[in-house]
Amino acid sequence: MSRLLVVDDEANIRLLYAEELKDEGYDVVTAGSSSEAAEKLQSNVFDLAVLDIKLKNESGIDLLQRLVKERHDMPVILCSAFSCYKDDFSAWLADGYVVKSGDLTELKQEIARVLAKKALKAKTAE
Amino acid sequence: MDQKYCWNSDEIEQADCPKVGAGDEELLVSKQQRRLEKCGECPRFTSDLKQMHSEDNPLAPLLSDLLSENHRQKSQIQSLVSFLDNKTMEMRFLHELGSVLQSSVDLEEVLSVALTAITAGKGFGMNRAFLLLCDRETDILKGYLGIGPRNMEEACQVWNEIIQNDMDLQTLSQNFRLNKLSSERAKFHDVLEQLTIPLANKDHIVIKALDGRHPIVVQGAFQHPDVPPELARLLGVDTFLLMPLISRNRRIGMIIADNCITNQAITEEDMRSLETFGFPVAFAIERASLYEKLQVELNRVTEVGKKLKEQQELIVRMENMALVGRITSSIAHSVRNPLMIIGGFARAMLKNSSASDPKRTFVESIVAETHQLEGVLDEILNYSDSLYPTRDFWDVNQLIEATLRDTADMLTSLGYATGYSPGQDLPPVYIDFKQLSYCIRTLLQNDINGIGTELSIAISTQKEDDRIIIRIEDRSRHISQAEFNHLLTPFAETRDLGAGLGLALCKTMLEKQGIPFVALADEYSGIHYTITLPTSKEEHV
Repeated sequence: MSRLLVVDDEANIRLLYAEELKDEGYDVVTAGSSSEAAEKLQSNVFDLAVLDIKLKNESGIDLLQRLVKERHDMPVILCSAFSCYKDDFSAWLADGYVVKSGDLTELKQEIARVLAKKALKAKTAE
Repeated sequence: MDQKYCWNSDEIEQADCPKVGAGDEELLVSKQQRRLEKCGECPRFTSDLKQMHSEDNPLAPLLSDLLSENHRQKSQIQSLVSFLDNKTMEMRFLHELGSVLQSSVDLEEVLSVALTAITAGKGFGMNRAFLLLCDRETDILKGYLGIGPRNMEEACQVWNEIIQNDMDLQTLSQNFRLNKLSSERAKFHDVLEQLTIPLANKDHIVIKALDGRHPIVVQGAFQHPDVPPELARLLGVDTFLLMPLISRNRRIGMIIADNCITNQAITEEDMRSLETFGFPVAFAIERASLYEKLQVELNRVTEVGKKLKEQQELIVRMENMALVGRITSSIAHSVRNPLMIIGGFARAMLKNSSASDPKRTFVESIVAETHQLEGVLDEILNYSDSLYPTRDFWDVNQLIEATLRDTADMLTSLGYATGYSPGQDLPPVYIDFKQLSYCIRTLLQNDINGIGTELSIAISTQKEDDRIIIRIEDRSRHISQAEFNHLLTPFAETRDLGAGLGLALCKTMLEKQGIPFVALADEYSGIHYTITLPTSKEEHV
């Protein structure tokens, strides 16, 4: 079972993601801030992180950069309320992008795609 | 007195007087006027006077004295009239010269007028003249222009032309400027080259005249103690005139004039006339030089103003884009998140409810409505995004010039020399300005360590078919193609956020825009980048 880290400052969104992704068969851990995410990352190994591009008083992009640098084997999918990630080149470091929607189909497809790519890469490396 | 004397008759016939000719008819009936103007020189009167002397007439010596005095005064008056005529001509010429000089701010034109005036027969009629100008940067008085014939044959030809054409000063100088300026400059090139005198050389006769601010007629040049022998040999004349050009106490230059062909003496009078002429010429030369400098500065300021305006327009556009981005981002977050939560939970409820649940219809309505609202929100956000599209038509030369300005300090501090050859009349390219600027900046500023001996980066833009090619030849940084390919792959080795990331990001950005990007690296010759930009939306992949 793949373990996912979901980082979003909205509690209801974390709850929605957790419920929906658990239904898809993932083990989901959530965090409401960068610091909480850092704590969870210290005590867990994750296969993928779903990250909101705009956290309350923080930038999801900064967290993305830290994750890319420190956990380079963990892919990251950015979630954004609007496709403004295009304006920030650092956002291009992410492995996938999804515009937020009540319909989580696209997010689920993106998670499946990125995890499959990671698995393929690992297999090739072996 | 007997009436037989014609000079004593009130009225005479034309046949009676040998001195009254055609046009003098009124003198036939005016005895007094006729006596004053004609009789004193008439052989009949002289003969009658002689007869009076022989007859011991006591009035005869008195008449002789009066006649002699009359002759002397008439001669003096004629001389004065001639002098006044000359002065009038000179004044007219100076007036004409002043008018021509005042109407021009073109240095070449002013110099042509000045030298034509000195050598033209209608002007001061000197055979040859050289103009030397003070170079303030090098503190040297330098030969600038010469005019005049080199030998008698050429002199005759030129003077004949002038006599036949009978032109005024302005026409003469215009003809000189159009037809002879270059050839005269070439003709006297050797002389002008050697007419270079340091302003600090105070013992030199030319500098003495310049510092003394008064013209000097040099005579016996070959033996003159103040004339360097090389100057006398160069001019090849024994007598020449030095006329300093001074404007508002500033030394402008010097005119050296001589009569190398006719060897006619240069008089004090010539010198004084030329001195009067020197002031307006010096002033006109200074004014034309200042105007020329002003024009250069004006062009520079205009160019800077143009660039500034372009930059301002660019900043305004970028700010508008950023502002729209911020507003839309804020709206997106404020509306999108609650909408997503409502729709998301409604979907979750729907998923878990049975088909017979009476509340299912309500939940389905919530799902449908939120879905519709998400669609409306997308439309609004996409519309606002399209007001300032990420991709638009831009001037590629303007983009590169702006990027070069931004990176100039950094590249200079590293000792890199940049050269830019912008293509002319290029059509606008359809690009994401911000991303392409970032790419060019990254290519120029990357931290590749292998440094070659030649620290230069050459950039050029060029139109090929319907596309614009940017070529960057970086001869400074040396790296093998294999190593360079690693840098184009994000975090291929270290995943460090260094130079490697920047280049990889550039490649990704350009590829996502469908812009072909080729980078050829060689550890001996450097890196050669080629970026091919579309000029229409249709070309965009």
